[in-house]
Amino acid sequence: MPAPAVRQEGLLRRWWRVLRVSYWLGWQIETNWTDPLLFFIYSLAKPLGGVLILVFMYFVVAQGTRGAMLGFFVVGTALWPFVVRGVMGIAWGLISDREHWKTLRYIYTSPIPYRAYLVGRSLAQATSALAPAVITLLFGRYVLGIPMHLGTVNIQYAAAAMIVGVIGIVALGLVVVSAAMLISGEAWRMPEAIGAGLYLVSGAIFPVTALPGVLQSIAQVFPLTWWLEAMRRGLLGPQTVTSFPWAGDAQVLIYEVLVTAVWIAAAAFIFAVADRRARQLGILDQESAF
Amino acid sequence: MIATMPRAHGPRRFFRATLGRSYPRIIGSNRDRSWLFYDTVLPLLGTIAFVYVYKALGAPDRFIGYVIMGGATTAFWMNVMWAMAAQFYWDKQGGNLELYMVVPCGIAPILFGMSLGGFLATMIRATAIVLIGSLLFGVRFAISNLGLFLLIFGVAIVALYGLGVAFASLFLLWGREAWHMAELFMEPVFLASGFYFPVRALGFWAAMGTSLIPLTLALDGLRQLLFGEMHPALLPVWWEVVGLVFLAVLFFVLARFMLRRMEFLARREGRLSLRF
Repeated sequence: MPAPAVRQEGLLRRWWRVLRVSYWLGWQIETNWTDPLLFFIYSLAKPLGGVLILVFMYFVVAQGTRGAMLGFFVVGTALWPFVVRGVMGIAWGLISDREHWKTLRYIYTSPIPYRAYLVGRSLAQATSALAPAVITLLFGRYVLGIPMHLGTVNIQYAAAAMIVGVIGIVALGLVVVSAAMLISGEAWRMPEAIGAGLYLVSGAIFPVTALPGVLQSIAQVFPLTWWLEAMRRGLLGPQTVTSFPWAGDAQVLIYEVLVTAVWIAAAAFIFAVADRRARQLGILDQESAF
Repeated sequence: MIATMPRAHGPRRFFRATLGRSYPRIIGSNRDRSWLFYDTVLPLLGTIAFVYVYKALGAPDRFIGYVIMGGATTAFWMNVMWAMAAQFYWDKQGGNLELYMVVPCGIAPILFGMSLGGFLATMIRATAIVLIGSLLFGVRFAISNLGLFLLIFGVAIVALYGLGVAFASLFLLWGREAWHMAELFMEPVFLASGFYFPVRALGFWAAMGTSLIPLTLALDGLRQLLFGEMHPALLPVWWEVVGLVFLAVLFFVLARFMLRRMEFLARREGRLSLRF
């Protein structure tokens, strides 16, 4: 007979409790493998390396002149770690629980909503991208001289876009995790493949207008494209290079909200189907020794 | 009745162990065709993203060639970091590392086999990236001196896998850090070695500093042979060959020293079988 305390706890309260604990667990896994200094260097090296590659690519073509594309690169590379950690990190979380730590079966069979656990892990991963994002933006502002100051930054707009963006990232993460539930051998590489695809089509490092027509249409399907576009408009103001020159700022934010809402519904459905299918096939905790 | 193989000694045993370790990398991994997608299409997606950066900047076509070369080089660097340097970490997790330590051939042919297998498998993948990338974007590569091109490539590969072995011994001591450290050596190295732009853009002395990574000199030398005068060279091409030979010898000696040192430390500190 289940304990009365568990039965009486409301669904929302239970979700909140699991979210908090899995967030804490995810944060520990992410950060406690080394000392804080090395973790800080590790967190910064990738995004700063990424932005500097683009900066040097820019300067070898532009021969030293500065332009709006620099701001485009800086915002894109500053925000991309949220996608890497939130979308791909959640899938790697599930795979490492299954293959590496071998704890998935115990977590899954415990009396918690598994989805809440995964969302908590994803949010912890996304949080670890916050410091690198801020420092990359500061680097862009003070070292590269990107015109990003109080006059250009629309704080409310950027904050709204960021919140919706993180929700979109978690929704995408749940879809990727659903796929990870159903494959084993190549599960480690699948999130990376999806990340590379998103990197190409979501306007992370170049405007979507540079893509061929078909890929431009595909780009609009993803919440990330709208999120990055809204963040650039919010942080860089009207001088920014845009992926959707035909859309106004409000329109971009509305599209971001709408596309994210569709992805939340899709993620809930896809996760439920994948969860049921993995259990039917008996592969939920299948180890592949990869 | 159990079939027995004739006992081998000396170089013959070294050779057999090398082949044995390279077998799963060449033959075994090709049994599962999914590598065609994950090892060619996946790196190509990242490469294409950088091609579109140059297109968005209105760069001349030779820069697309730079990016495709960078994409192919990424395959080698990732192989060295994930399948050489971090390999002992995976082997530790899978329980193979203890077996490697007790086999009579020693650890050297195991590492040599890993390098050989990894190189051949990656070579196929890198060739596929160059071919598909060139076809997609209509880039033509004209090699001005094929012999020198092959020489630079060969010496660079020896130096690169030597570095991989040196890293492997370092990673022997690490647990969870191994995964993160391999991650750490991605974008910063792509930047330092000029994977997607001429390394001279970093400034002469900065580029000389990053030439400790064999791919820096190799990429610059190969680009000189492909793009001629248009490429802003770091050093004359023969100087770069000499530099690569020096790095190959240096990393070979370093790998030998570090392997012994780290194996001793890992045994003393009981980390060889420590999984987490």
